[in-house]
Order: sequence, then structure tokens, then C-alpha cells
Amino acid sequence: MNKTLDLQDMRKKIGGMVDNRVRIITAGLGLNELRAILRGDPPTEKPNPRYRVHTTSFLFHIRPRYYEKGATIFANTFRLGFFTAFFFFVELFTGLILMIYYTPSPDQAYNSILNLLSNVPFGKMLRDIHRLGAEAMVIFTFLHMLRTYLTGSYKKERSFTWFTGVFLLGITLFLSFSGYLLPWDQLAYWAVTIGTSMAEAAPLFGQQANLILRGAPDIGAGGLLRFYLMHVVLLPLAAILVISIHYYKVSREHGISLPPRYEEGDLSPEKKKEVKQRLDFIPDLFTHEMFLTALGLFLLIAGTVFFGYAAPLEHIANPQVTPLDTEAPWYFWWLQGMLKLGDKTLMGIIIPTVIVLLLFAIPYIDRNPFRSLYKRPIAVGVGIFAVITLIVLSYMGLPHYGIQTPAATRIIQDLAPEEGVGPLRAIPFEQLQTGVYEVGAEVPRDLCPNLDYGCPALTSVFKEFSERVTYAATNDKLPDYKRLPNARAVMVIEDWQQDLKKVTLRITWDDPATGEAKVYEKQYFLHRERERG
Amino acid sequence: MPAKPEESVSEEKKTINRREFLNFAWLASLGFLTVSLGGVTYLFAMPRFKEGEFGGVVPVGPASDLPTTDAPPENFAKVKFWLTNTDAGVLALYKVCTHLGCLYNWNSQENKFICPCHGSQFDKNGNYIAGPAPRSLDRFAIQAVDPTTGEVVAEAANGDPLPVPDNPDVLIQVDTGKKINGQQHA
Repeated sequence: MNKTLDLQDMRKKIGGMVDNRVRIITAGLGLNELRAILRGDPPTEKPNPRYRVHTTSFLFHIRPRYYEKGATIFANTFRLGFFTAFFFFVELFTGLILMIYYTPSPDQAYNSILNLLSNVPFGKMLRDIHRLGAEAMVIFTFLHMLRTYLTGSYKKERSFTWFTGVFLLGITLFLSFSGYLLPWDQLAYWAVTIGTSMAEAAPLFGQQANLILRGAPDIGAGGLLRFYLMHVVLLPLAAILVISIHYYKVSREHGISLPPRYEEGDLSPEKKKEVKQRLDFIPDLFTHEMFLTALGLFLLIAGTVFFGYAAPLEHIANPQVTPLDTEAPWYFWWLQGMLKLGDKTLMGIIIPTVIVLLLFAIPYIDRNPFRSLYKRPIAVGVGIFAVITLIVLSYMGLPHYGIQTPAATRIIQDLAPEEGVGPLRAIPFEQLQTGVYEVGAEVPRDLCPNLDYGCPALTSVFKEFSERVTYAATNDKLPDYKRLPNARAVMVIEDWQQDLKKVTLRITWDDPATGEAKVYEKQYFLHRERERG
Repeated sequence: MPAKPEESVSEEKKTINRREFLNFAWLASLGFLTVSLGGVTYLFAMPRFKEGEFGGVVPVGPASDLPTTDAPPENFAKVKFWLTNTDAGVLALYKVCTHLGCLYNWNSQENKFICPCHGSQFDKNGNYIAGPAPRSLDRFAIQAVDPTTGEVVAEAANGDPLPVPDNPDVLIQVDTGKKINGQQHA
């Protein structure tokens, strides 16, 4: 009897001790209370300890106590702001881990990436996630901004929040761009050469800005270190500061805006009351955020592991050769498109500056007090126009627009690009049946009937080659540089060594202007064990 | 509310007291310090190089080895210039596009230089044809040197084409330290 009493006593004592410790860590929430939160039960103590947490805990004091019920409707925010912040934290964590294996010097940067890809457990996955997260952060920043614009959520008391948001857009873009140089491959080197040359086009301080960024007249060890420090110290610190200001406004001052129809529409008093009901952070918003975080992490991992998203890595940077089809990262295609249109100072510096100033000034230009789409036709029209312009300019930024690559070079570059994989290198080794394939009348359904499984990949590459050469040869309405009169083209596959084949693509044609015979030829050596992208 | 106007009048009359003056003085000195720190950071971050660290005299061989006037320009990848020979003479074109710093290439099918980044085009003399580049290609000064005495027999220091000397043994040199900017086009 005595014994059992003692045990119960002990259990109570230990339970109490654990409960006390937990209360200290959670700033006031006991074990029962935590359980109630996860179960969705009402608070177990009075006064409600869930509110107290918001004053006693640092991490919870920067979170809101509640949102209005109407504001949390999914289609109101699409959780875009949440995911932008989520991706920022993903970048912080993955970036911190990646730094372990990275050395910011031209001698070692590229090797450290190769080492990460081939020697470090989960190295490739972490790098892919870091890259995917960065691209997602740019997308979500843009969508978050678009949503805020379309629901008129930048007005009145939210105008300063919008102002900080435009800062964050800039910081996000610079963060992505500064990370671009670090692998020290061709893609990185030339994208950043162009970027810093744009800084040089700025009036008054352009040359100095360029030198300070590059650390020398050309990008080298100094430039890499500077970009590295910007990427891992300066910009993240700036981002954390501005995100804090941005978020504090939302969580402590004005909350998430209600959908316009609830603010401005004809609603019954009951409905108005209902949408203004408070939804407490603990438990409802907190548990919802746990779900969103899990979802986001799942999507990131699924994207890299199951859907094959991979961060590209080109050849090591070569300051002596600019590869064909050098292009900006996709979120700067619009800028590359503008740069093709005219003067670099105007297109690269002045117009972007004006755009940014206009973005900052939107809340102060747009004095229309309404938020509903139907009551702001001009603002919505301008928004749609801006998005369409962005898409058109981005299209013009592609290498296919405005650069006169001659037909033969273009065709072969598209099949087997100088950088990246392309359809030719993606052909499985077994399908590379040796032979001479001449572009002629018709392409058979399968080039190698003797192989067990045929060679669909090889056939489709040859078919594309054949069709494009024939098109350029027969179509004399094309501009001269796209024509290949009297073209003869051939694809030769040879055994070169054991497990190594040599593929030659050759096009011969008569120059449309002079009639002179011309040849363009490229050779590729494809190994059985090569990376096929 | 008779008190209100009185208050505002008395506010207007308030003069700077000692504490306010001193606080302004601290603020001003902090502001000055911030500005000077900005200047210090600028000077600190600005890269320095020695005189003549970039560029130098590059021998490209005797006049007899020059590409003929109808041959494609010769690529000097390491020192970043194209050596072209035209009817007017020899030119050394700085390989960096005047637009945004990419290295342009000679396109033998179209007989012009085309930049892979934004599509600027230049003719064999480096003159602007099309595209977003603001000016024609930059050139380097060229000299012809007597092989035995080392004496400069002909020089095009202002970036003009250097007529090919009659003596085939004369050495051609390019001075990559002397870059002459191309002409702005209208």
C-alpha cells in the first residue's frame, strides 16, 4: 500500500517538474495547454495563457494575436506572403549549410561545387533546393505584390508597408543575382559581366560603381569575393531588417486586409460582424502555418527529388570566350529585352529606376479610396498592361529574338548547345548507331530497325535536324541569314574508342549573296558514362 | 478654450536652449561622421592598380604573316583583340563589345562581328552596323617596328588603320595599354 502511494506521488512530482520546465520554455503554456492547442480544444486555464505568450515570448510577440476571419480566406491572400517568407527561411538554412563546402576563390569555387555534387551526401539535393527556393521566392514575391496591387491592399494605413515591400522586391532580385556568380561557371561569369557593365552605364558614378562591384576592371578573385560577401552577409542582413519592418506592420498595426467585397460591398450586419470575428493565432493560425510549412517543404523536396529540378552547372568560367546564347536569369529577361531596344543608359539604368520609383509611389499616386476591382478600372488596366509588357519584354530577352544567328549555327546550336545538354547529348548511348545519315527525301520511322528497341531519341534528333535544314533550304522568303540554299547536311556517328562515339553534324550550302560554297561543322564526343542531364 | 492660442504663441517664442543646441551639435557631428565613414568605405572598397598593370605591347609577327584583306580577322584570345586587315590597313579591335562587355565573335558566314549577348553587329573595320551598342568597337594603337634596329617605322596611335608596310619583315606590335574608344553613332 505504502509502495503504490509513493509511486503515484513520484509520478505527480515528476509530472509537475516537467510541466514547469515546459512552461519556462514555452513562456507560460503547460503540457495540458499544449495538448489542447494541438487538439483544437478551448484554453484549459484562466486567464487565457495563449494570449500571455504574445507578451512573454520574443518569437510570439512578433506574431499577430489574431487575424480577422474574413482576411484568412484562402482566395484573399493565397498565402503568397507566407510562402515568400517561408522560402526566405529555406534559403537561409540551405545557404548556411552549403557554405560549409564552398570556397569563394576562382581557383576553388567551381571545384567546390563539383565536390558538392559528386562527393557530399545530399549535396546535390541541398544545392537544388537552394536554387529552387530562390526561384520560388522571386515568383512568390512577384505574385504577392500583384495580389496586393489587385486587391488595393496598399492604400491608406498600408502604404508604408507597400513601400517596404518594394524594397524587399529589390533585395530579393539582388540576392538571387549575387548568388549567380558563386559557382564560377560560364553562365555565372557572363551574366555578372553583363550585370556589372550595366552598372557602368549609369551616369555620373557608373564607372566607380562598376569597379567597386567587380573589384578590378574585369571580374576575378576580387569580384567573386565581393559578390560572395554581398550574397551571404550584406543582402541577407538587409533582407532580415526590412522583412522585420514589413512584417511588424502587418502583425501589429493593420493586419491582413479584408477582401474588398467585405469592406465595400452591401453586406448584412451579421455578415459584417462575422468576417470581423477574431481568429486567434494560437491555435488556429499556428496550426495552419505548421501545415503550410510541411506542404512547402514537401513540394521543395518533391520538386528536386521526384520531378528532376536541378540547378544548372555549365563549364568552368572562361574569361576569354562568351558562349553563344548567353542569357540573363529568367527574372531578368525583361531587362535583357529592353537592353536590345536601345541605349544602355536609358534602358538599363534610367527606365528601371523610373519603374522602381513609380512602384514606390503607387500608394501616393493612386488616390482612389476604393479597393474593389470594379471601382478602380484605371489601376486594374495599368496593372494588366504592366504584366503584359513584362511578358512581351521577357520574350524579347530570349536569345532567339533580335540576335542574327546564321541558320547553320542556329540549327546545330539548338540540337547540341555550347552550354547545357540539348537533345543530341540526351540520346542514350545504346541508341547511337554508327553510320552516315544524310538529310534527304524522307526520314524513316526508325533509323535503326536492327537494334532491339530501335532508336527513337536518335531518330527524333535527326528528324529535327533534317526538317530544319530542309526548311531553311527551300524557303527563299526568309531573310538571307536564315537561308541555306542548296543545303546538304549530314550526321555522322563513328566509333571512336571503347565506350566513346564521335558525332559530327555538318551543313554545306551556297551563300545566298555571293553563291560561294560554305561549310559549318561541329563535332561531339559522347561517352557511355556521360551525364545526360 | 482661451488657453490654446496662448500656448501656441508661447511655443513660437521658445528659443534654443543650451541642451537643445548641444543635442543638435551631437547630431551634426554624428551626421558628419556618417558621411565620412561613407567616404572611407568608398576609398576602402575601390580597387587600386599600378600604372601600366593592364595592357602592354604585344608582338603579332612580321607584316608578311598578317591575314590577307579578304581573310577573316585573326583572334588573339589571350590579349583580347581581333587583328583585321582591310584595304585601309591593319587594325587591332578590342574584343569586348562596347555594349555590355561580352566578347563578340567573327561570323564568317555574314562577314561581320556579332555579339552573342544582345546582338550588336560591327563590320570588319569595327564600325557599328546594328544593335544596341552605343559606339563602334574600341581599337588599340598599332606600331610597325624595324626587326633589326627596333625603331618604330610607322605608327597609328589614334586607332586609325595602319597601312601595311612594304617591307614584309617589319614587325607589327599592338599596344593594349592604349585603347581608343570607338566613335559614337548617331
